[in-house]
Amino acid sequence: MPRIVVENLRKEFGQQKGEQRVVAIEELSFTIEESEIVSIVGQTGCGKSTFLRILLGVDSPTSGRVLVDGIEPYKEFDKLKGKIAAVFQEDRLLPWRTALDNAKLGLEILGIPKEEQRERAARWLDRLGLAGFHNAYPSELSGGMRQRVALARALAIEPAIILFDEAFGHLDEVTAARLRSDFLNLSKQQRYTTVMITHNLDEAIESTNRILVFGRPAKLLADINLSYVDKSDLAEVYRLRRLIQSVIESNRPLESVGAQTF
Amino acid sequence: MERAREIEVLKLYRVFRGRKEYAISLLALAVAWEIASYIFPPYAVPSWSIILKTLISLDFTHAYITVIRVLLALAAAFAVGFLLAVIMYLSRRIERYILPLVNLVMAVPAICWVLFAILWFKEPEFRIFFVLVAVCGPGFLIDILDGMKNIPRHLREMLVSFRPSKNQLVRKLILPAIVPSILTTWKINLGLAVRVVTVAELVGTISGIGYALNFALGNLSLAEIFAWSLVLVTILLSLQGVVYMLEARLLKWR
Ligand SMILES: Nc1ncnc2c1ncn2[C@@H]1O[C@H](COP(=O)(O)OP(=O)(O)OP(=O)(O)O)[C@@H](O)[C@H]1O
Ligand SMILES: [Mg+2]
Repeated sequence: MPRIVVENLRKEFGQQKGEQRVVAIEELSFTIEESEIVSIVGQTGCGKSTFLRILLGVDSPTSGRVLVDGIEPYKEFDKLKGKIAAVFQEDRLLPWRTALDNAKLGLEILGIPKEEQRERAARWLDRLGLAGFHNAYPSELSGGMRQRVALARALAIEPAIILFDEAFGHLDEVTAARLRSDFLNLSKQQRYTTVMITHNLDEAIESTNRILVFGRPAKLLADINLSYVDKSDLAEVYRLRRLIQSVIESNRPLESVGAQTF
Repeated sequence: MERAREIEVLKLYRVFRGRKEYAISLLALAVAWEIASYIFPPYAVPSWSIILKTLISLDFTHAYITVIRVLLALAAAFAVGFLLAVIMYLSRRIERYILPLVNLVMAVPAICWVLFAILWFKEPEFRIFFVLVAVCGPGFLIDILDGMKNIPRHLREMLVSFRPSKNQLVRKLILPAIVPSILTTWKINLGLAVRVVTVAELVGTISGIGYALNFALGNLSLAEIFAWSLVLVTILLSLQGVVYMLEARLLKWR
């Protein structure tokens, strides 16, 4: 069974009387297999974050459903405890906690023994290049370092599924690239199923095996398998980039754009 | 209103705290007073030596009693305000019903509470307690409720996504997030309480600084009134100083 199943998912905001009705997700249906690394791209405001929040279980579908390991994340909220974690564009660190205490937040909630919490959180911070900063408060860290703490916090619970919502979007290109490649190396060992929202097409092409292109409001315009793309062939990468761009701009499914399929 | 004024005082104090101008202008005032005391008669402007002599002769049990009254009443007002704030935070509906009442209570001037207390209660200690709780309770409630509401939604969502229990959510997010609001509201309410307690002590009691002030007024002793005022200011600044110290310790992450 696929790790993530999305079936006829639809999301509208403003169901209450007097509110403006907004369709955030029109129709989404696809599956994601275990240990796949998938990126989602699309115009701003097309419902990517909304999709991720539904996947994480902090918001509910209007109709249709999402299954993570056969579990509905919103309805059966607690059943995904310890299985799923997210990193967002803003680091979302608790400002009153040190880096180490932030990194062990998820472990505390899972009720892991104290000694092990410290040890695991510390190990993840070290792996992400934050040895020596365990006792620093977020206000004392740079943006890139804070984002590493947020990543450590997510990875420390050793989730099966990890979600990124423009997690590297605020960082400068050098820092973002390094953090991305650190994560990808870890990912090879840990076999996370990864869903990564990004504005950056290069990031999507470089770091993932599959790109889902969302229309606005969210519907699947293209589902591009990158396994057959030679990422070292710059011309090919360039063509792919142009193709994705044209799909996003036209807001129409890939077939009707009239381009070749990868 | 009294409360708004308290916030202004705190703001001013924060601006001037630790600056040398603060000390200099206070010193200048003291010198001007001393000069005035040579020009005007001692019952109008007593000199510093008279004030200090009076200060030493004061019966400080009054100060001690006033401080105890303030702290007890504030502790009670804080407990009630905190509890109501939590309930209102958890239920929008209850909040909608309680807020208008709180608003009403806050609009009543302190002096009216004193009058109500005299009319409703016999026991002088309880009158004072009632006035202080009525004046300070709503402030605690509103500030703590605001603190909880101002917890960024995205922090809450981050924490919730780890699937915590209600208890964990409160302990790991809500309580630590409102510590700054709690400290600030204590500073404001200490100022308010010290100001109001003296008024409440003017009637029906035979102890406390308010009583002592009234007594001094009976004797037409400006030196004594002035000395007690100094004591009041010192009490307020030291109590607030304690909160500032707590702030420095608890909020070092800022
Ligand atoms: N809580 C909400 N209430 C009402 N409308 C919302 C809410 N959250 C999102 N929306 C609307 O849903 C649509 C999709 O928003 P979403 O944040 O998912 O877009 P996005 O693809 O993540 O955009 P971006 O790339 O800019 O982050 C937008 O029109 C937005 O205004
Ligand atoms: Mg978004």
